[in-house]
Amino acid sequence: MTLQAVLANREVLVVCGTGGVGKTTISATLALGAALSGRRALVMTIDPARRLADALGIVGRLNEPVAIDLGDAAAPGGSLDAMMLDAKATFDETVRRFASTPEAAERVLANDYYQRASATLSGSQEYMAMEKLLEVHGAGRWDIVVLDTPPTRNALDFLDAPDRMMSIVENGAMKWLGAARDDSKRFSAARAGLRIFGKGKEKLFAIFERFTGGEVVQGLSEFASVFSGLMPGFRARAEGVRDLLTSEATSFLMVASPNRVALAEALFFHQRLTDADMPFEGFVINRVKALRTSPGRTPATPWAAGFRRRPDVRGWDRALESVWQNHRRRVHQAAADREQIDALQSRCGEGLLYEEVPELHTDVHDLDALREILDHLGGPPPEAPA
Amino acid sequence: MSVPPQALLDRRVVFVFGKGGVGKSTIAATLGLCAAEHHGKRALIAEVNGAESMSTFFGTPPVGYAGRRLAPGLDGMTITPAEATEEYLVRMLRFRLLYETVFRNRFIAPLMDGILGLSDLISVGKILDLEWTRADGGFGPDGTGPHRWDLVVVDGPATGHGLSMLRSARSIMEVAKVGPLFQNARQIRDLIADRSRFTVVLVTLAEDLPVSEALQAMDALDREVDVEVAAIVVNSVPPPLFPDPAHAALWSAIREEGVVLGGRAARAILDGERTLSERARADAQVERLRAAVSVPVVEVPRLPTRDLATDELRLLGPALGPLL
Repeated sequence: MTLQAVLANREVLVVCGTGGVGKTTISATLALGAALSGRRALVMTIDPARRLADALGIVGRLNEPVAIDLGDAAAPGGSLDAMMLDAKATFDETVRRFASTPEAAERVLANDYYQRASATLSGSQEYMAMEKLLEVHGAGRWDIVVLDTPPTRNALDFLDAPDRMMSIVENGAMKWLGAARDDSKRFSAARAGLRIFGKGKEKLFAIFERFTGGEVVQGLSEFASVFSGLMPGFRARAEGVRDLLTSEATSFLMVASPNRVALAEALFFHQRLTDADMPFEGFVINRVKALRTSPGRTPATPWAAGFRRRPDVRGWDRALESVWQNHRRRVHQAAADREQIDALQSRCGEGLLYEEVPELHTDVHDLDALREILDHLGGPPPEAPA
Repeated sequence: MSVPPQALLDRRVVFVFGKGGVGKSTIAATLGLCAAEHHGKRALIAEVNGAESMSTFFGTPPVGYAGRRLAPGLDGMTITPAEATEEYLVRMLRFRLLYETVFRNRFIAPLMDGILGLSDLISVGKILDLEWTRADGGFGPDGTGPHRWDLVVVDGPATGHGLSMLRSARSIMEVAKVGPLFQNARQIRDLIADRSRFTVVLVTLAEDLPVSEALQAMDALDREVDVEVAAIVVNSVPPPLFPDPAHAALWSAIREEGVVLGGRAARAILDGERTLSERARADAQVERLRAAVSVPVVEVPRLPTRDLATDELRLLGPALGPLL
């Protein structure tokens, strides 16, 4: 499938990649492409670069879509919205939605351990990005949602996030710690130990409790108790996320830059997505130094390329040598980039997208720059028939 | 450039911190190598970010949790949460059965980790252990005799995780108000807060987003952790077109000639323009950083090769000189 077909047909486009490869910019560009062709597009991002956020007008506005003014550039019906995610606020919203009563929600939100969990639980940001994706996709306001995934050390972390969250909120410790209270709502470590480890090991739990200090176990227990009411809701949502991600409506793209580390990651990612049956469409390789040109034979000296020697001008010859050294260095880097991309292509095989965007020599800070990148990606899809 | 109040090599632990992909490992390796080769320090590089970069830099087999000599005077080890947790808990809980039952319990472990950040605390705790280790094998807060390592360089995890690691001691002290865990957390907090023993070096790139993130990280470290940032290292600064600045004045004449010549000459001019523009943008970002912080900012040049080994690290060393 071509990139244009993806932009014209998909409802969800998940854009992955490690930090620093220009994922946010590419996500915004893809959403722009869909909008220009007449679709209602939303780009969701966690933490855009300052200037891109400035350009899109979304600075300081969290969790609400902001309309981007495209002038008369978009085909009829096309529009572009951008939304900056706030994981903590999304987590809070989710709790409110799943709690049986407003009072129950407030009990969770006020719990010290909830506050810790929502801020620091590994994967909570990724989980909440997925949660929000499900919400906006279901809202029906947009034809296509482009999700710029959170910058994780490992591009795959977000994929596991729903499962990891589930394993924590759903696992037995929560249930058992929560249940280790008698009717007077007093926590009993012995009872918790019994429930978790079985008969005869309550003592171990008591040693554990002494080690951590009683308040830790007590606190976890309270958290488990207030949070357990939310579990059915969380479970349903996590399944919803998984269904959406593996459905026909969704495509995954990976943004990489042509260096050894990023491409090794890209390869690994491709393998993982394929194993997980996720609809992986291909790669956008960003900041490529030269586009499909062979380095050819670079003359060894500037004189061989026709420059004059000028002993009359102080420093001229040496300055030219610097210019030439710079040229040769860049030619070599371009060739190295090309080698890396070729290696990726031969490892992942045909049938995937390998789109390239050249290294741009300005900061991307307005729609015109996004439009330029879009043109490198083949432009917007043909206008959808009315 | 202002001089750091205290040289990096006089500390016991230097925690290298920064966003993913900025070259923390490169800077950590360079720091360790410089300390050992030029300053006669017995140094250790401890990787806590899950990657095994040091063996690649120094051309050794994987260093692992047991550690390995990387170069004369320089050791390396990889701290994995699983191994550090086992070592710590078996020591603290006295007998292995308890560790096996409680902390390898599939229900308890994620809670302790997810909510309390226990494995983060234990990773930092391992750094404290390394700092405590004596040459004669003695160990602990009350040890005597020379230390086994003069300097421990920590190749830290990416910003978010690094922050939670540095924060973990305080965080656990807030909830565990008594008990051995609390005592350990307090020792770790004290290490991190002790400017004569512990400092942070923040690594970033001369680009828009990395600089913004570095500034945010400075802010977060200041607000959330009682720790000193000794310096910011701007890694991989693109080279200037003219190593000799006096030559810059000739650029427009060279440019004119190259454009007229066309062909290869014109392409070299185009590349020259690209290098000039890259460097100008990088300079602007370094300026932006310098204007916003009061700590020393040093620039480390980008090397033409991406696959760095010991010889390349030696080329980077001089850039860190002012901090050592």
